Amino acid sequence: MYKLRKTIYSDNSFIEDILFTNNSKQYSIPFDPANTDYQQFKIQVLAGAELQDADGNVMTQEQANAFIATLP
Amino acid sequence: MPISRINNNSIANNTIVASDLAAGSVTGDKLGLTAINANNIVNSTITTTQIASNTISNTNIATGAIENYSRATGLLSGMRNRIINGAMVIDQRNAGASVTNINGNVYPVDRFIAAGAVASKFTAQQNAGSVTPPVGFTNYLGITSLSAYTVGAGENFNIRCYNEGLNTADLGWGTANAKTVTLSFWVYSSLTGTFGGSINNYSFNRSYPYSYTITSANTWQQISVTIAGDTSGTWNTNNSGSLCVFWNLGCGATNSGPAGSWSSNLYIAPTGATSVVGTNGATFYITGVQLEVGSTATSFDYRPYGTELALCQRYYQAFFGPTTTGIGNGSTNVNDVVIPLFVPLRASPTMGSCNGAAFTSSAYNTFTSVTPTVVLNSGVFISTNQLRLNFGSVSGVTDNRIAGIRVDSNLSISSEL
Repeated sequence: MYKLRKTIYSDNSFIEDILFTNNSKQYSIPFDPANTDYQQFKIQVLAGAELQDADGNVMTQEQANAFIATLP
Repeated sequence: MPISRINNNSIANNTIVASDLAAGSVTGDKLGLTAINANNIVNSTITTTQIASNTISNTNIATGAIENYSRATGLLSGMRNRIINGAMVIDQRNAGASVTNINGNVYPVDRFIAAGAVASKFTAQQNAGSVTPPVGFTNYLGITSLSAYTVGAGENFNIRCYNEGLNTADLGWGTANAKTVTLSFWVYSSLTGTFGGSINNYSFNRSYPYSYTITSANTWQQISVTIAGDTSGTWNTNNSGSLCVFWNLGCGATNSGPAGSWSSNLYIAPTGATSVVGTNGATFYITGVQLEVGSTATSFDYRPYGTELALCQRYYQAFFGPTTTGIGNGSTNVNDVVIPLFVPLRASPTMGSCNGAAFTSSAYNTFTSVTPTVVLNSGVFISTNQLRLNFGSVSGVTDNRIAGIRVDSNLSISSEL
């Protein structure tokens, strides 16, 4: 299961990452095409892995596919 | 007597000895071009005193003669071995503890992945079983089967290691100039028979299954496989993965193929290879893994421990302990926490969760399982030795005021291939 995270700064700028739990431990994956876990994130979500938005709402497969299509 | 009357037939063996020849009486013009070869020269008779300065030049030495001798005797070192941690010395994640396979990747030692289609079918551990490693080695990677599992047609279990494209670009794979390489390793198993693995590209659409035979159970045996470089396919030459070496522990028919040739299929094992996970309690140990240019397996390329560790830390390192500071953002975030890296990473990393504490001049609050975010827009994570992070879900900090972060557990930083 993957979950998007958005951290908003005081000046309204923000940073984003992807949270992933594996073997009971949580990991933060950067939106970097060179990162292997990021590559796997895109493959797994397109294959049907659950993706939650930053508010915890589960995306439909159609929404998830559309989101992945916007990524580098 | 005419000079032409003396030839080889006129002189019996040993009738002319050194004491019969005046100093300087035999010169180059009295010897045929091929008259003197290695058989005519007694060991140690030619020393530096017989060789005038500047008499040996490049044209007197066959191409590759010195290089081949140096390789064979292990004199050349550095990155002759393209495999990092081939002697299984570095284990940053587990410090020698056993790990059980999951349906995915685990790293029993640095740079080596243990993977399986079904979880809990084998354990992997540095020096599992505590057998004596082969001479020259102090560590090995040990696999122990946890059951007698029948591998499904589309399933596979394996050990594998990825090489980065920047470190294999010179092989020229995917071009007409692809270089031949030799894979060698030491193996020890409770099973005998035909074993194998494969070499794949990062897209897994080029593969070369190889096979070898373990003839004696529970005996270290060195295996050497020479592989003609692949002139087809895409083999990355950047910081992405390029060349992946597999050691099969059990593979179904879908990913098994004929040994000894390149294929565009995803083959992980040669057809008919022994399944380690098919026998409960079976063991499979490996060390001294070396991949090198050429058609000969040379002696293992030992590198200093610090060098090997630094090579591993390009892909994984752990941060523990030192306090670092950042800027409070609201009351639950600390921004711009910069931590040092031992070496620059391959790519921006995946961060693991950690325990620790956030504190200011007037507050100190511990936290558990906080997963920091890499701040990508700084660009500091690749080319320098530091990493810029945001720690969220902490408490007691003050907006836009200095805040400290102390990490009390290993904070994993992974940019593995």
